[in-house]
Amino acid sequence: MTRRLDARIWLVVLPAATVLLASGAYALLSDASPSRLHLTSSWAGPSLSRPLGSGEAGVDLLPLVLHATFRVLLLAFVVAGIGFAVGTPIGAAAGLLRGRLERWVLRACDLVQAFPTFLLALAVLSAVRTPARWHIAAVFATTAWAPFARIAAAQARTLSEAQFVEAARALGATRGRTVTRHVLPNLLGPVAVQIGTAAAGVVLGETALGFVGLGPADGVSLGALLEQGTLGMLRAPHVLAVGAVAVATVSGSLQLASEGLRRWVSGAK
Amino acid sequence: MVVTTPRFSSVLRVVQSAVARASGAVVVLLVLSTLVFLALRLLPGDPAALVLGDRASAEDRALLRARLGLDDPLPVQYARFLWGLVRGDVGPSLARPGVSAFGAVADAMGPTAALAGTAVLLGATGGIVAAVLCVGPWLGARREWVHRAILVASATPLIALAPLLTFALAVKWRLVPLPGDPESGALGLLFASALLAVPLGAQVGRISRASLMEVASSKFLQVAAAKGASSWRVWLIHGLPPASGPISVVIAAQLGALLGGAVVLERLFERPGLGTLMLNAYAARDLPVLEASVIAAGLLFVAAQALAGAVHALVDPRGKAA
Repeated sequence: MTRRLDARIWLVVLPAATVLLASGAYALLSDASPSRLHLTSSWAGPSLSRPLGSGEAGVDLLPLVLHATFRVLLLAFVVAGIGFAVGTPIGAAAGLLRGRLERWVLRACDLVQAFPTFLLALAVLSAVRTPARWHIAAVFATTAWAPFARIAAAQARTLSEAQFVEAARALGATRGRTVTRHVLPNLLGPVAVQIGTAAAGVVLGETALGFVGLGPADGVSLGALLEQGTLGMLRAPHVLAVGAVAVATVSGSLQLASEGLRRWVSGAK
Repeated sequence: MVVTTPRFSSVLRVVQSAVARASGAVVVLLVLSTLVFLALRLLPGDPAALVLGDRASAEDRALLRARLGLDDPLPVQYARFLWGLVRGDVGPSLARPGVSAFGAVADAMGPTAALAGTAVLLGATGGIVAAVLCVGPWLGARREWVHRAILVASATPLIALAPLLTFALAVKWRLVPLPGDPESGALGLLFASALLAVPLGAQVGRISRASLMEVASSKFLQVAAAKGASSWRVWLIHGLPPASGPISVVIAAQLGALLGGAVVLERLFERPGLGTLMLNAYAARDLPVLEASVIAAGLLFVAAQALAGAVHALVDPRGKAA
């Protein structure tokens, strides 16, 4: 039974892992530049030397896609990691202590989760001359904690009423010991699963910012690629297709991994 | 305890919920406007240099700083900024002298509100219809297909879907007009809104299906069916209202994403609107217009959220004012 479950887990994580490893290996090992221009092959279709074709001003799409994918994945995991590290303690405290704290935390989560990140990004990025990746990461990190806090609060609430926690309490365990040995270890799994969903959200957010011209200044982003594809859709539809497929693959594989792991975590418990 | 008639108490609940949401809205707007204010003033670099560029002379920069009031102490600037917001006047546009910043925003608000409003209408209707088809008896085993379509749609990013569909439908096969064309009219608006409605409709469909399935096993639906009500009547009149709470919550939660999507679509189609105005103001560093449009978009967002909350309180009397 466990073996079969493990095999299926590998299957849902495989696409995301492949995207991450392939783009990472290419970005670190290959010396093909994602931004070198080659004017004579502007908007040229796929060929043997350039399997994905060329974009505006003859930029080779294969290194562009893989570098952009790797960079946005790094950004997404850093932001999701920050969200996890900040949101989990807030949510766990709210779920364990209840009362006014819990109401306030959940209220803040509502507000932050429904908040248009785009407005926040615009407000912050307008103050810098050329947005760098860490500016964008900072914008997303300010709102990333909310979903983690919400899940941690719900988990902590359920766990603190669970029978094994009650049993530990009845056996004379101190409050600190109950929390650190029984509640927290069981809370981390379901909360950590959210990392994939959060990362997918950051990927789409960064792509949207890049598309409207607020992306990283180096232009190596899937959003900038999509914008190229939109501008050149009459001359070279392949650019648009490459960009759209890349965005859908990256965010889709992350969502798949997150959803599969979520089912596995909740089913195994 | 005050005895109230059912009619009055339901009105009271709507008012209570609206007040609770309005206080949240004020907090959101205050945070947002403070952020805009601070971002432009606290981060390193001279805002005047951002606007005029590096090669502007020191006199020009000093002139602009004086005009924007950047040399006053920060609390004074902040008070003046807030007072300007209350009066709805943050000064004239820098890029287009003579045009007030809020005037430009008011002009741009209409197209964006039309786009987002139509999208909410289409997304909510489409999502609920899909969910009802998922749980009702009409499609038989093919219900699962509708469910899969909802899942696929919810996993498809708008930013990838919108340019592809535009290329296929508007450019290649010319089935719909390009929504950026000023003469595209209602059909163009409908196409753009339909694109924007896809992610919203998928979320609404997912949540509606889940909450309808929760209602499905309840006794009152069986009673309604036993009394001889048609399946449509059972699901739409009896099943939908108790499931509407989560549906209005999910619509409210998606409004922020909807606003972001509207900006992306306006950029894609080069359609006039709040998003286009914000992006142009960002590119030109037109600070008054940028401040005004970010705050107006925030206002639009909280107003729409308050509306969703009021609708929730109205259709589902069990809902407590949140």
